[in-house]
Amino acid sequence: MRSTIQSALALTLLAAPLLAGDGRLAIRAGKIITQAGEAIIDGTIVIENGRITAVGAEVEVPWDVEVLDATHLTAFPGFVEAHGNRGMDRPNENIDVAPFLNIRDSIDPVNFYFEDSLRWGVTTINVQQGASCVIGGQGMVVKPFGMTVEEMLVRPASGIKLSASPKSGKSRATQAQALRKAFTELEHYLAGLVQKQKDGDDSARREALYQGRDLDSEEAREGRAQAGSAAWTVADLELIPRGEIDEKQAPLLDLVEGRIPAWFYCGAPMDVRVALEVARKNGFLAQTTLVLASSCWKAADEIAEAGVPVVLSAALMHIERDPVTGEEIETFVPKVFKEKGVRYALASSNQSTQSLWFQAASCVAQGMSRAEALAAVTTVPADILGLGKRVGSLEKGKDGNVLLLSGDPLSVTSFVEYVVLEGSTVYDRSKDVRMRHLLEGETPEGTAPAGSEEPKVHEHEDEVVTEEEPVDAGEDKE
Amino acid sequence: MIPTLLLTLATAANLAPVTGTQDDERTRWSIHAEKIYAAPGELIENGSVRVDAGKITRLGSGGGGDISVYAITAGLVDASVRIHEDRLSVEESSEIQPALRVADTLDPFSHLWQRQLRSGVTTVMVSPLDRNVVGGLSVVLKTGGPENIAARTVAVDAALCGAIGSSPSRGNHAVYGLPTDFFSRRPTTRMGVEWEWRRAFYDAALAQRHGAELDEDARGLLQVLAGVRPLFIQAWATQDIRTAAFFVEEMAREDFGQIRLIVDAAAEAWKEPAFLVRTGAGVVLPPFPHNGRSGPDRAFTAWSSAAQLHAAGIPLALSSHGAQSPADRLDRQAGYAMRGGLPFDAALAAVTLTPARMLGVDESVGSIAVGKDADLVLWNGEPFAATSRAVGVLLEGRLIVDPREEN
Amino acid sequence: MLILSLALASLAPASKPLAPVSEVFAIRAEQLHLADGTVLENGLVLVDGDTIAAVGSGVSVPAGAALVEHAGHLTTGLIALGEHAGGSGELRDSTRTVLAGGRLAHAFAPGHSQLEALLAEGITSLVLAPSAGSLSAGCTAVVKSAGDTVVSERAQLHIGLSSASLLSNRRPTSYSGALRDLEALLSSAHGDFGAAARGELPVLIEARSRHEVQRAVAFVAEHKLRGAISGAPLAGELAADIAAAGLSVISDPRSPGASQRSIDALLSLAEAGVPFGFKLASPARHANTLRMGVALCVRRGLSPATALRSLTVDAARIAGVDERIGALATGRDADLVLWSGHPTDLTSSVKAVLIDGQLVYGEL
Repeated sequence: MRSTIQSALALTLLAAPLLAGDGRLAIRAGKIITQAGEAIIDGTIVIENGRITAVGAEVEVPWDVEVLDATHLTAFPGFVEAHGNRGMDRPNENIDVAPFLNIRDSIDPVNFYFEDSLRWGVTTINVQQGASCVIGGQGMVVKPFGMTVEEMLVRPASGIKLSASPKSGKSRATQAQALRKAFTELEHYLAGLVQKQKDGDDSARREALYQGRDLDSEEAREGRAQAGSAAWTVADLELIPRGEIDEKQAPLLDLVEGRIPAWFYCGAPMDVRVALEVARKNGFLAQTTLVLASSCWKAADEIAEAGVPVVLSAALMHIERDPVTGEEIETFVPKVFKEKGVRYALASSNQSTQSLWFQAASCVAQGMSRAEALAAVTTVPADILGLGKRVGSLEKGKDGNVLLLSGDPLSVTSFVEYVVLEGSTVYDRSKDVRMRHLLEGETPEGTAPAGSEEPKVHEHEDEVVTEEEPVDAGEDKE
Repeated sequence: MIPTLLLTLATAANLAPVTGTQDDERTRWSIHAEKIYAAPGELIENGSVRVDAGKITRLGSGGGGDISVYAITAGLVDASVRIHEDRLSVEESSEIQPALRVADTLDPFSHLWQRQLRSGVTTVMVSPLDRNVVGGLSVVLKTGGPENIAARTVAVDAALCGAIGSSPSRGNHAVYGLPTDFFSRRPTTRMGVEWEWRRAFYDAALAQRHGAELDEDARGLLQVLAGVRPLFIQAWATQDIRTAAFFVEEMAREDFGQIRLIVDAAAEAWKEPAFLVRTGAGVVLPPFPHNGRSGPDRAFTAWSSAAQLHAAGIPLALSSHGAQSPADRLDRQAGYAMRGGLPFDAALAAVTLTPARMLGVDESVGSIAVGKDADLVLWNGEPFAATSRAVGVLLEGRLIVDPREEN
Repeated sequence: MLILSLALASLAPASKPLAPVSEVFAIRAEQLHLADGTVLENGLVLVDGDTIAAVGSGVSVPAGAALVEHAGHLTTGLIALGEHAGGSGELRDSTRTVLAGGRLAHAFAPGHSQLEALLAEGITSLVLAPSAGSLSAGCTAVVKSAGDTVVSERAQLHIGLSSASLLSNRRPTSYSGALRDLEALLSSAHGDFGAAARGELPVLIEARSRHEVQRAVAFVAEHKLRGAISGAPLAGELAADIAAAGLSVISDPRSPGASQRSIDALLSLAEAGVPFGFKLASPARHANTLRMGVALCVRRGLSPATALRSLTVDAARIAGVDERIGALATGRDADLVLWSGHPTDLTSSVKAVLIDGQLVYGEL
């Protein structure tokens, strides 16, 4: 409990500039790595109304805009986390098929994870349910700042989580069957609805009204139900006003109609076939991103053929033992996907020291190009999230999300000194007491009695983190 | 079917497994690099290292090479890899075991050695698991070579190992009624652990002073008091590091002897470096935790720990505790220490020469010098940077990881 | 031990009467397998009482002696090294780590129902060895599968050096502690350990994983012991070391069935000249695994002659009883098996078994 209060306090301190800010800021940086063309030496970024209005070496700064002097620092676009399931109360729901649930109700704005994300420069995060499900709830894209989910919101309904990997205690066959069955049931449900409509039975309408829905406005906004590009269709579905569809089924229909993206978890190479088959048959392959355990590099050809992008497991090196010789075989996963021409985004490890910058640096250490590695933590995840026009690079018109680093983004000795989110400075390392504690061991004031050998509060702090650890249940467990 | 058979027969004949190229057996190499970090503070630019028959035969600027890489360092040394057979590595039937050797319990076939070797760690010390007060004698060995502990050994009985803190008392319980097994014993607390340390050493020292007959265990303790080998004590938290330092001082005060102390897993050594300076102790840091605390005693390691200890002039070694993931291995620990402010040369020393000196094996390993073992790490960029890694490893002149296979 | 053996004796039913053949008789077989691997065509074995009186092609049958003609293979009885049959499971004293002076022979229950299954597989002798879990459970015994013959009641000194011997709440808990305690026992020069240290008594060392085998080999070499390592499925990679230490290997037939690597290990041992034999784990249900393990090795390239030796003469040597059993040779026990085909061929079946000259299975 105390740790939550601590986080809240820390964030309140940091939150002050946002409350005062108006989304207008000019940043003078010693170097600007834009991720859109050459780096700019001694440049300026101007942000107005939360959006970047100018980036360059020769940029005129409006007279009334506050200037952040960062001429000793390097500016870099915020890192983009394409898929994660931290920062929630609990990442997994008990119900196997629950597309009607929304992460919105589970995100904990004062969770230590969001605070830590700023510290490591992650400014855009797609929060999705954990993989211990058949069909999970709907996720959302947030920025790691704000006291409420609404303040954090970047994009609602960022997709539905599905898993081709069995929930613990279940077999793969059961999982695959449950996935197929969910869509068959949708089809039957819709067919039944059409039949009832033809029979003049208005029970669906009454149920919808009972659920408190405003049918007229929903229809006006979203039109009538219609089949998407699925391999199956329900005849005369256009007879059904959209608002009459049960809200437990509606998100699946959205998926089938291609209105909402899918995040499909595969814990083993064999799961890839199931995931692609389900996505193909039900018409949402084009909106699908595979979330992969590291062993899934073995299915890279299949994935390349399907043309879907992937989010890679935090464990970039897949290690297995030859069953005959006992020798270990190491495979660096991003390299495989690069060679196969699959678009991939990297994901952070739960260990915050191995955040996105570290993952990108590891790719360079393995001989991949710096541009390739940086793209996999900025522009590529932004594109996969459909936010390519908003985040991932420092360009005119994009969100004013800027990291100011003490050195190169991929250097182990670089620190995030400031984070600017939509034109407001939301993180300042000189005021980050917890960072000072981690770095120098200096005990932040008010967090522990002076001279105490084991300040209890930090143990609790750790517990908050460990609670989140079992994230993707089924990750690499084969 | 047939390839399997061939492979197995090859292994049986003591040939190197898997890649069957001739280079596996070759022991003469000349390696060129833009930067040779021969020893901490000793940089040779655009130079080469020549090795023959397991030793370094030439080091200098210029010179071509069979292989060319960005940088070369000596093989890394980790004083605290915990690649042992867990509870089978320590004899728990008595808390004080100064005569037992962990070398007798190791598994040379474990794949974990290969992982260390691939990441550039060529020399390691292994201690018994921390379940005893005095666990036994450690061994310093190479991480590769013949699959045989004796053949890989660099130094036998390198240190006497033990623990202070909550670990040694774990599992013990007070006697209620009849004792059920040997765990019905002291220590059950930190105080008890300290008491066991003092009792064992007092008994041995006084027995010697009074001319009593000495058993094998007493002789083992007396050798430590005589400075024959260092005392390697695991102590994570401040209070336990203090206990270790005060214990060593007490032994000197009683005129029992001057113990050479190395504090292992000294997560909180940065809090009170003065005690360690006073006792002349060395420190082996545990791997850096991601959010401050780690180990059985939830001790707090500041990122700047290494830098602070270095500034205090304390001999400092880093360790990964035999980390399995490439993201946590020893080269990464050196990077993390640099993130906390440790200068590069000090980081290099902390993973090569300093631990080699602590363990008494610096004559053969820990730096690149003519006559030393040809254990080299070849890097594709600046060592310890997050964007570089060990792309090549030579162990006693044999090319274990070939950088030319990198594409 | 006294109490144990009395209890077991009371469990044992009276030995069942064995079918008498005649005092002196001969068997002529189309294929007769000698210990050195030679096969005699139409070879003849002459039995006098419980002993083999003569073996050869030109042996003449004394007047009045019966002659049995066998249209198949004739071998000596097979030997299972290490096995629980007839021991009623009481093969280890769980209260002590070291049972100095322990004798597995006291756990022998002649006529035990499990023994019959062995006869159907041509197994005429077995080594009673302790189940895992102690540092030393005493000496193994060699007994016959029928009758109450104890060939040796002090065959090998058992030593446990596998992780199964090390319990977390009983000294020793570690490999190093086990080595120290064993060294102390060997240096005491008393009893069985003294005999083993002087090389008079072979040892049977349990070791499973490769490092355990390596540790056992080093221990044997250091203390100049002789004997065999039991249960080393991957010992092939250490074949050279095992050969250099003069050790033999006792394989668990379940291992060859389970893993290709362990079959290859046995082939490597054969190539390095290490004698090896097989044990049975659960004879009541799996008596046939003895021949199955061997057949798998033959399928991988082991010569049938070497395979047969591993079940007969080599096994007898490992158990230290080759003076009495393990070969068709003059003066040895008349333990004979009449097969329909080669014994390492799994399609072959046992037609008849004789132990000590008595027909105990099948018909002549």
